Amino acid sequence: MAAPAAPGRHGAALAAHRRHAALRAARSAGIWGLLVLGTMLAAVLVPGFATATNLGNVVTQSAALGLVALGQTFVIAAGLIDLSVGQLLGLTVVLTCALSDGRGELLLPVALGVLALGAVVGSLHAWLVNKLAIEPLILTFGSLSILQGAIFSYTDRSVGRAPEALRWIANERLLGWPVAGALLVLTALGAHLLLRRTRFGLRLLATGDDGESARRAGVPVARIRWGAFVLSALGAVAGGLLVAGRLGTGYPNAGQGFELDAIVAAVLGGTSLAGGRASIVGTIGAVLLLGVIANVLNLLEVSAFVQTLAKGAIVVAAIIATRAPRSQVRPGAAHAPVADA
Amino acid sequence: MASRLATQALRELVSRWAILGALALLYLAAAILSPDAFLEPAYVGNVLRQAAPVAIAAIGTTLVMILGGVDLSIGAIISLSAVFCAVQMGGDAANVGPALAATLLLAAGLGAVNGMLNIASPGSSFILTLGSALAFYGLTQLYSGGTARGIVAPGFREFFNQRLGDVLPVLALAMLLIAAAMELVLRTTRFGRQIYLIGSNREAARLAGLPVGGVTFACYVISGLFAGLGGIAVLARSGVSSTFTGRGFEFDALAAIVLGGTVFSGGRGTIVGTVAGTLVLFIAFNLVNILGFNYNLQLVLKGAIIILASAAYAWLGRER
Repeated sequence: MAAPAAPGRHGAALAAHRRHAALRAARSAGIWGLLVLGTMLAAVLVPGFATATNLGNVVTQSAALGLVALGQTFVIAAGLIDLSVGQLLGLTVVLTCALSDGRGELLLPVALGVLALGAVVGSLHAWLVNKLAIEPLILTFGSLSILQGAIFSYTDRSVGRAPEALRWIANERLLGWPVAGALLVLTALGAHLLLRRTRFGLRLLATGDDGESARRAGVPVARIRWGAFVLSALGAVAGGLLVAGRLGTGYPNAGQGFELDAIVAAVLGGTSLAGGRASIVGTIGAVLLLGVIANVLNLLEVSAFVQTLAKGAIVVAAIIATRAPRSQVRPGAAHAPVADA
Repeated sequence: MASRLATQALRELVSRWAILGALALLYLAAAILSPDAFLEPAYVGNVLRQAAPVAIAAIGTTLVMILGGVDLSIGAIISLSAVFCAVQMGGDAANVGPALAATLLLAAGLGAVNGMLNIASPGSSFILTLGSALAFYGLTQLYSGGTARGIVAPGFREFFNQRLGDVLPVLALAMLLIAAAMELVLRTTRFGRQIYLIGSNREAARLAGLPVGGVTFACYVISGLFAGLGGIAVLARSGVSSTFTGRGFEFDALAAIVLGGTVFSGGRGTIVGTVAGTLVLFIAFNLVNILGFNYNLQLVLKGAIIILASAAYAWLGRER
């Protein structure tokens, strides 16, 4: 990504770049292969899985996580991470239901309001990382706690009602297709183009690959990080709007655990925790795979305790299976402070 | 040049002692705001006892953090340890010894699982231990059936809660002794020095022939073991062994460790800092309560403390 020093090095860098691209393609193809295989197996083995209603439900239930995971893909690709998304999602659910309280005419202003709040949260994250060089992990762990405290200071029980229109978007079908699923596909398409076809996307990957080199090559690293954190927060808020529509009421614990699922989906889909590599297609495949697994465990009436255990095992297995080779581990390199404005 | 060096030395000095200064200032403020409580030796003993479970668990995790990793599964290990220990005791004083030994073995075993995972995939300890935390919570729920289980042996709680000289509960004394022992281990043993060296530069330590894998494994085992001690301490303090006894303790521990000056990138940190950080946290929590604020403000306070402390240390540590 950086300016070539010599033709030989340029060749090597290009080869490495192609190897990365091939690896990424293989991994996102792998996750879709796994998804197809798992779906076929479940269709044969699990009674009640392969009905149009159930498959539609899997897509509908996956849509909120999908939006959060798309945002998380951008922050991780930029060499950052955002652990606050679950609680931001929960805050969105509570605020949306409490403020609109079922009144459809308030949906648009409230939705715009919570999206603006998300943009503010993302901007604050970016500002703190850029100016004070706080570890993104620690920073967003702290804001997770603050957001959770904010939610529970506001309410410790379900409040308000989701407007009818929001429930329709989150639960219903149009011409046989889940509306939320269509929304996810369109957002994913936009995210894919943003990552692969725009200067922002290329600069984001360069920043995640090596922040210092990117800065020297003229990439406005601070602005790129700002974009990544804002995208992540907006994904969480959009996911929160869908969850509000699904639940129909402002449940304060609605966002619990979303951050972990979103990170796992991104990593399973081929996004590197070290930054610099990402695949939107892979993230969506992984989100659907997680949705299929949860659905199958529910249909088989596996106890919630075993489901928790299984989820933990999947997280650990995903990280171990997709770990970077030793030479690629560069702890700290991605989070070096930047001095540009 | 000389003044820059002096500034740097001053920053170094400030960042090393900042937490003790903060603890002294906070205590002073607390004593002024609520003299009936914080000037009462027995109340201070209570705060120490209240902080003991988190402090003990945080001491073990400090080793992992100095090494450059993190362990977010300690809340789950504390929960499982508390339930397991209560069930093993089964309300019979004769079972206390075996129950404690079995609990510590279990906790160290869970730490060993974390250790192996982190050797297999270095650099992703945050996500790995978040995942293993889920798995450990699943195990706890399966074991307890989702409710409180087990009966604490008679005499067990009484022993840890009795006050020496009517002031210091045995549990608080145990915490202080454990802290002193671990500080000694870090300062005087080869193992302690190896942790700092590996945390400063893992690759260099490996090239220099240090047993990186072995030390990593040992640190996660110790972190698990101390979480087990933390679970026993919770049981001794409250006597309750529900599924989620330790939920959120990893937050408190991480906040305490970061407050105490252990940096997230590894290579720096002390046990004294961690214990002082825990005390700052708990004095602040008590103040929130005494001043009549909403309990949930503690969460906001905790998050703000984590962010502010890491910002302060990042500022003090730059240009180095």
